[in-house]
Amino acid sequence: MMRLACFFGLIALAALGLLLVRLDGATAIVFSFVGFPALGLALALYAWARWRAGAFRLDPPAR
Amino acid sequence: MDPTAPLFAGPPAAHGIHWLAVLALIVGGAAAVLLLWGLIRGRLPASYAVAAVVLPVAAYGLASLHMLEGSKQVTFCGSCHVMTPILKSLQSNDGSLAAIHDARGLVPHDQACFTCHSGYGIWGGVDAKMAGVMHMVRTATGWYTLPITHNGPFDINSCLGCHASASSFRAVEAHQDPDLQKQLLSHEIGCTGICHPAAHPEAALTGGGAS
Repeated sequence: MMRLACFFGLIALAALGLLLVRLDGATAIVFSFVGFPALGLALALYAWARWRAGAFRLDPPAR
Repeated sequence: MDPTAPLFAGPPAAHGIHWLAVLALIVGGAAAVLLLWGLIRGRLPASYAVAAVVLPVAAYGLASLHMLEGSKQVTFCGSCHVMTPILKSLQSNDGSLAAIHDARGLVPHDQACFTCHSGYGIWGGVDAKMAGVMHMVRTATGWYTLPITHNGPFDINSCLGCHASASSFRAVEAHQDPDLQKQLLSHEIGCTGICHPAAHPEAALTGGGAS
């Protein structure tokens, strides 16, 4: 799960890199419609992985 | 002397990389290193948990600001093939209203599109950005027809914002006609077509192909 979150995060950062290297319509479309969803997915997966690890619970499960 | 070179060049960094882009690159680079580590190791130390969220989000926030600012440039508008002929027309001084404004320096050369199409006031900029998102959706999906047309009546306040208080504008007899003013403000008629030349030539609205 954590690997998948990092993978989507890196995709999002790749879209960001494209935008920063060359700002035009094509890279703005990639940044907005590929990068943002990828970042959202990465954050959701990361939050889920952390929740499963007991990060957001008062009584974390025994490992 | 190069005739196309600027007469008054700015400071050395004036035409360089925008500082927001540099900042986003630094923050994004740090985030990439962290995420690459997580991808290889399959886990991130708990002490880096906050950084793993904050760094990518901060990089995206900075890059979004960079995009909002950079998308005001005419080169950005003209980078999509549908808009390229309009940009060429604007810079060729072909007698269209937009080209006249650009050639006479009545609008900033680098932000000519945004100046007229953003509407007037603070909400004009917000509306323009929202319209820009729809432009991207339409470009990405091909959801448009040629020749392209303006979405709804042109906001005449964009014109009046500059012209209304100009003495040369007020001196024109037609502009003093109350009936004409009512028709203009109610969008029954526009500045272009009857009295002034079209904002952009018909040929430029076909996306470069035949109409």
